[in-house]
Amino acid sequence: MNVFSADFLFRNALAGGLLVGVLCGVLGVYVVLRRFALLGMALPQASAAGIAFTFLATRHQHAAGAGSHGLALLGSVGFTFAGLALLTLSGRRSRIPEDGRIGALLAVASAGTVLFVAANPGGDFEVTSLLRGELLAISDRDLVTLALASVVTGVLFLWFRREILLASFDPDFARTLGKNPVNADALLYALLGIAISLGVMTVGPLVVFGFLTLPALLALRVAPRLGAAFAIAALVAAVSSLGGFAIAYRADLPAGPVDVALAAALWLGVSAIARLRESAARRSALRVGAIAAVLLATAVPLGGCAEGSGPEQEPAGNGLPPLARGTLPNSSRPVAVLRFHNETGQSLRIASSNPLEELGKAAGDPFARRDPTVLDELEEIATQELARRGFVVLPRFETQKAVPSPPADPASAALAAKRAGLDSLVLQGSLRRFTLNPSRILLVTLDLALVDPRDGHTLWTGTARRPVAVPAAQTLPEAVRDAGPQIFADAFGGS
Amino acid sequence: MSGALLQAKSACFGYLGRMVVQDVTLEVQPGDFVVLVGPNGSGKTTLLRGLLGFVPILGGRVERRPGLRVGYVPQRERLDPLYPLSALDVTLLGTYGDTRPWRRSGADALARAQSALKVSHADHLARRRYADLSGGQRQRVLIARALAVEPDLLLLDEPTAGVDAETSESIVATLDDLRRAHRIAIWMVSHDLEPLRLRVDQVARVERGRLRIEASR
Repeated sequence: MNVFSADFLFRNALAGGLLVGVLCGVLGVYVVLRRFALLGMALPQASAAGIAFTFLATRHQHAAGAGSHGLALLGSVGFTFAGLALLTLSGRRSRIPEDGRIGALLAVASAGTVLFVAANPGGDFEVTSLLRGELLAISDRDLVTLALASVVTGVLFLWFRREILLASFDPDFARTLGKNPVNADALLYALLGIAISLGVMTVGPLVVFGFLTLPALLALRVAPRLGAAFAIAALVAAVSSLGGFAIAYRADLPAGPVDVALAAALWLGVSAIARLRESAARRSALRVGAIAAVLLATAVPLGGCAEGSGPEQEPAGNGLPPLARGTLPNSSRPVAVLRFHNETGQSLRIASSNPLEELGKAAGDPFARRDPTVLDELEEIATQELARRGFVVLPRFETQKAVPSPPADPASAALAAKRAGLDSLVLQGSLRRFTLNPSRILLVTLDLALVDPRDGHTLWTGTARRPVAVPAAQTLPEAVRDAGPQIFADAFGGS
Repeated sequence: MSGALLQAKSACFGYLGRMVVQDVTLEVQPGDFVVLVGPNGSGKTTLLRGLLGFVPILGGRVERRPGLRVGYVPQRERLDPLYPLSALDVTLLGTYGDTRPWRRSGADALARAQSALKVSHADHLARRRYADLSGGQRQRVLIARALAVEPDLLLLDEPTAGVDAETSESIVATLDDLRRAHRIAIWMVSHDLEPLRLRVDQVARVERGRLRIEASR
């Protein structure tokens, strides 16, 4: 079947559904970002009430032909914008929260739709058509109107994308730039109102609500940037619309709900794939860990056999073999490892193995030593790993005496080191994640930066974020020590 | 205005007719570095927002030099981390005031944003997602965004809140460099006067809705 052929019976329905899907999909990104989801449900319902009211007032029926569509569109637009105006005006002085007011609009619009239809002698067919999202009754004229409105809406959205983003993300900042966020909000509401009015006329309130939320949810799950989120949402909406139509056509089902079901399936599928990929990364790390453990176990006796049979390697970094520098700069200056900054929100304290000491601390023993933390372990391993890569590393006690508090970023590290009179390069670290899960997988996110305090320049940055399997570790320090070389190999590189 | 960037004369600010800060008379000159201090609820943020024009003036008047460019750094917790924006994207927002709606953000805007990130020591964060940054890093990006405006006056609402002492000092040092190098006037709200005492010209103390300006040293 050539779906775009003029002879294809459902060509207009297909094109109409596609236009509405893409338009609602793109605008839906802001519906989700601005927590308007309830509005995305209430306004289509208000639009549906407007159509039902128009049919009741004019004694027309939904399937009566082209003449009734103009009137229905008038009712749809009128009720949608009336709903928006009510919400905006009531919000100025009302003490009722916004979601309460939107919920009230949804309840009233839903009840109104049912009552208007019930009062209309030909109403049963109308409400069924509306709620099912019948795509079939789209004339050429309706399609042209829909296409023109979609183009105008799309162009306005593109033109004013910066104003809409500013008003949505930080309205106060928009004001300081001389841009009134109220105008951008009004434009966004107007564009949403147009898309919803046309959409409800074409595919019904359920489908419009589905397209305003589901493609955007998927897009915001995977998109790295806002522009990509709009593109992905549009693509998902287009695929759902065309794919849904094809499925509905073959299975003799109403197209609108199938579109929504397909969009939901895509969202759930992508979410599931994302989760599976995360799990796969953990399993892969576990396998790598197991292989590494086996290799290490076999390497020890082999190393013993090879003793004296080849050139002896100079041990560096706690007796471990030296490594290449990886991505680190080729500098001959010594390095000071500053205390790492803890951004995990956890204390990461390592409990003492001596229960009496723990009891003393719990009782507030004033002579108890400062608890060691995971950060102390990581700093120690960083020192070793830098030494393995050929750096001269200053003793930690000297560095910590000079800069006692952990700087939060490279600029602070440079300033602190300069003030402390350190002439070496400094390694600054921020631990953003540290989780040891029940499968003995260590999930770490550690940002590192090598900074020159002389001029404050950051010479190198790296992040360790690969999960590391620590199957043999029984305690937290063991887990950190087991994972340490892999954590820093991930950040520094070198082999 | 006699060269002043901004003047307030007996200005009163408040919400819904309730006066929060009253009888404010002040003058902001290029290169000023002033810290606004005071107990919680004293009206510091209201005064700052009043100067920005976000809070209604209930009495007196506030005059701005025509064409005054203001860079504003809000409290960072107010920004929604759901938005998929990089640090560079956030900084680019500062250039939007000079870009007409139908025009693309050109190379100039990008260069301005990158330069602002560098000045605020956040250039290495440009590609990182804003929501993933630490508190101090986010603060630097927000300062970069304000600098991308190319401001005459920088107003900051607690830029050092919730960051450690070293980062706080580093941020204050960056601000001090800026006002010296570019003659940008800086007014900032802070709870902690000590790290600022040697750098600021004046301390503006807000207590029970009244402003008192004193020299810092």
